[in-house]
Amino acid sequence: MDEPNLQGNQPIADATAVVLAGGKSSRMGKPKALLLFDNEPLIAHIVGALKHGFGEVVVVAAPGQELPSLPVKLVRDEVPYQGPVGGIYYGLKAAGSEFSFVTSCDVAFLSPPLILHLISRISNYDVVVPYWQERFQPLHAVYRRSVLPLLRVQLERGELRPVYLFDKVRTCTIGEDAIRRFDPEGLSFFNMNTPTDYEEAVKRWQALNGWNAAGNDSVQCTVELFGVARLLAQTKEVVLSLPEGATLARVYSALAEKLPVLANRVIAPDGRSLLSGYACNVNGLEFVRVPTAKVNSGDKIFIISADAGG
Amino acid sequence: MHGFHGRLLAIDLDSGQSSYRDLEESRLRGFLGGIGLGTSLLYDYAPPGVEPFSPANPLIFASAPLVGTGVTTTAKFAVITKSPLTGFIADSLSSSHFALELKRVGVDGLVITGKAASMVYVFIHDEKVEIRAAEHLRGRSPREAEALLRSELNAPTARVAAIGKAGENRVRFATISNEGRHAGRGGVGAVMGAKNLKAIALCGDQEISVAHPKEVEAIAESLRRHSLGSLTDKYRSIGTVANLAVFNRLGTLPTRNFQQATFDDAEALSGESLTENSFSRRHGCASCTIQCERLFKSLAGEEQRLEYETLFALGPLCGINDPEVVLQAAHLCDLYGLDTISTGGTLAWAMECNERGLLPEAQKLGLRFGHADSLFRILRMIAEREGLGALLAEGSRRAALETGSDSSYWAMHVKGLELPGYEPRSLKTMALGLAVSPRGACHNRSGAYEADFSGEVDRLRADRGRGALVAASEDFAAVLDSLVICKFLRKCFTDFYGEAAELLSKVTGWNCSKEELKRTGARIHTLKKLFNIREGWQPQDDWLPEKVLSETLPTGVARGVGLTTEELREMIQSYYQARQWDENGLIPEPKLRELGIPTAPRGGKQCQVMKPAGC
Repeated sequence: MDEPNLQGNQPIADATAVVLAGGKSSRMGKPKALLLFDNEPLIAHIVGALKHGFGEVVVVAAPGQELPSLPVKLVRDEVPYQGPVGGIYYGLKAAGSEFSFVTSCDVAFLSPPLILHLISRISNYDVVVPYWQERFQPLHAVYRRSVLPLLRVQLERGELRPVYLFDKVRTCTIGEDAIRRFDPEGLSFFNMNTPTDYEEAVKRWQALNGWNAAGNDSVQCTVELFGVARLLAQTKEVVLSLPEGATLARVYSALAEKLPVLANRVIAPDGRSLLSGYACNVNGLEFVRVPTAKVNSGDKIFIISADAGG
Repeated sequence: MHGFHGRLLAIDLDSGQSSYRDLEESRLRGFLGGIGLGTSLLYDYAPPGVEPFSPANPLIFASAPLVGTGVTTTAKFAVITKSPLTGFIADSLSSSHFALELKRVGVDGLVITGKAASMVYVFIHDEKVEIRAAEHLRGRSPREAEALLRSELNAPTARVAAIGKAGENRVRFATISNEGRHAGRGGVGAVMGAKNLKAIALCGDQEISVAHPKEVEAIAESLRRHSLGSLTDKYRSIGTVANLAVFNRLGTLPTRNFQQATFDDAEALSGESLTENSFSRRHGCASCTIQCERLFKSLAGEEQRLEYETLFALGPLCGINDPEVVLQAAHLCDLYGLDTISTGGTLAWAMECNERGLLPEAQKLGLRFGHADSLFRILRMIAEREGLGALLAEGSRRAALETGSDSSYWAMHVKGLELPGYEPRSLKTMALGLAVSPRGACHNRSGAYEADFSGEVDRLRADRGRGALVAASEDFAAVLDSLVICKFLRKCFTDFYGEAAELLSKVTGWNCSKEELKRTGARIHTLKKLFNIREGWQPQDDWLPEKVLSETLPTGVARGVGLTTEELREMIQSYYQARQWDENGLIPEPKLRELGIPTAPRGGKQCQVMKPAGC
């Protein structure tokens, strides 16, 4: 199913985002939530991304866990370290919505179009969970509040793996093909468990955003707008100056900065990708779906509808 | 039976008799409704080799299981007959209230045969079928006929499908029109005209039974919500006219009879410009939340519905750069009941012939690319079959054959059906889709262009991977067109076959799996091909116009790109292999058995009555 339309900056009124922050971080050696990422604590980075799309964000922390000040509803595990099932349980219990998107505090590459897609599938189900590389991704899934009693039973029985829940309720599994439509590389599931993971994530983030130490804006490209984007922006094209090594993600964020009217209508709330109704063609020759693709000076980048024909 | 009424209404205009006939559940499950059911009925009701304008050629209106269920975009019906333009299957869809009313009169289909002695219309109401005189409607536009009939019948809620002058005069690309929409392609209106049938008026009050109403409503609600998302933004915000500017920039906008794939004046005709300068209002079919239709206002203040195919065919294809001219020409096509794609394609052929000195009558009229003066006049002449109009009313293939002097080289058609607004040279998957489509050059019975526009393939290069893509696209379209669900909703599904099977099961009470539905799509498409084989299809009918295969594109991002006969031949072979047909495009009997189709025609032999097995 298509995702709900995010008109303007309106959040999804009927869904909550739940971030589980109370893990032990034993393999990382220090609290994951406080790792510096994009010049801010990782938890703040994730909450910031979710605040674009959700009216309510709940963070579930361990008792006494240190966290920065966040614009969220903060709840603490009643019993610490009960694993993901405990976090999901306390998060859903605190959430004000009928269903919640649940994630953890160690995934930096959330894809709003994918999250919206998961939410769009919940209507006839209790859980919507991605299945990526032969594994369920319970900490990137949507849960209906009605599963709370079953989670409670699981906690009582010590069944601390969320997958036990999936057989008991109406579960919608989102397969790889569907996931790739929104997140071609599955970066949404790249979580940081070790210092190596963390370094890799920082590098990827910088590459994704076209950061360059030299900092000179040496890549000049032209974005040509078509259809809805053109009508909204009231212009046919925009010339952008970007740093060497800039990617399409950087193009989208620069475009959203220059033409805020495109944010959340054409460009996804994260500012690094297009909403699923839109596509990018470079120089009239290649349709490019991966935001990490490099942009060359002189490129003409077309922002068009993803749905040709009719 | 849920989702269906389990019967059809057969009307014989020779005798004036009509009768209700049961429809077997096996047929409905095997072919669903809409295009699938219509194809199945055509196969059984059309005598092999029937001449399209013969009274024996059945004109079939088919409803579908999702019609009237409240599921968004499903108010559609199919019109199926043997095409007077191609000699093969003509399967067209139209939509809105007439579709709902067809279901409400308590049938899954109408099968109309025979020919009335004088112009008539059929009025179906309260289980009665009346055949009434319609000479007073002769020459009236479909809209006028609709208004007059409602008044005459004192039935303001009656829904009417009618033909215009073009249908009355058997213009081979005449439409059947209802509520301003058209069953457009393949000349179904000409077949209706050949039967002296001006219109069909419906007044129904029968309930539509659904097996699991609560579950269907839940799915319907979900689809309604999702139909308002980003993936339909284009249709909701601009409509299909948005294609023109993009296609131009991508070098896929057929211009001046496919001389090039870019149009210098595309900006003036773009959907964006039309929206900014001429937008009047947004409209849509009954039971649709997308509301893709756009009405634009001419300088004279008249509203005209416009979508991409009409805009392309009456604009760039004919070298016309003035939106006012396109709006007026589209208005005339609606008035006369002309398929705008075939109209534009045939006119573009005449314009090109004139430029090359092959058609003196076109020269006398001043019928030239970019010249609006003669355009309005020739549209009327086509509808009335007057002068050069009589030649053009035959469509580009027949007109070229009659004209001779190699003019066939410039007739841009497949199987006699003029090409839609997708340049095959710069859309290689689409090129294959156009070549092999059973109804001729068609952009609706498959969405092969989608692979080209997705980045999954290199649209400028041909390869043997395209056969499977085209076959899958055709089967997908066959299911959409038979349930019926509008194609503009297609991307709002994650697992289309799974979700559609669930919806169909909740409506009908069947336990339909996604595998069954996939097989149904293949079965429906295969039966279309089987019908064509029975009616004389030859391997050379799956081909593209010579011009496309001889000239490269001269302008735009696809400059220098062409399509060779070898490339096309390779792609066609890959398509036959994907379909498990033989190298000549014939369907081996084991394949027919696998799909539950009992027998195959060979050497023009008649097939047996279709009763799919093993659903």
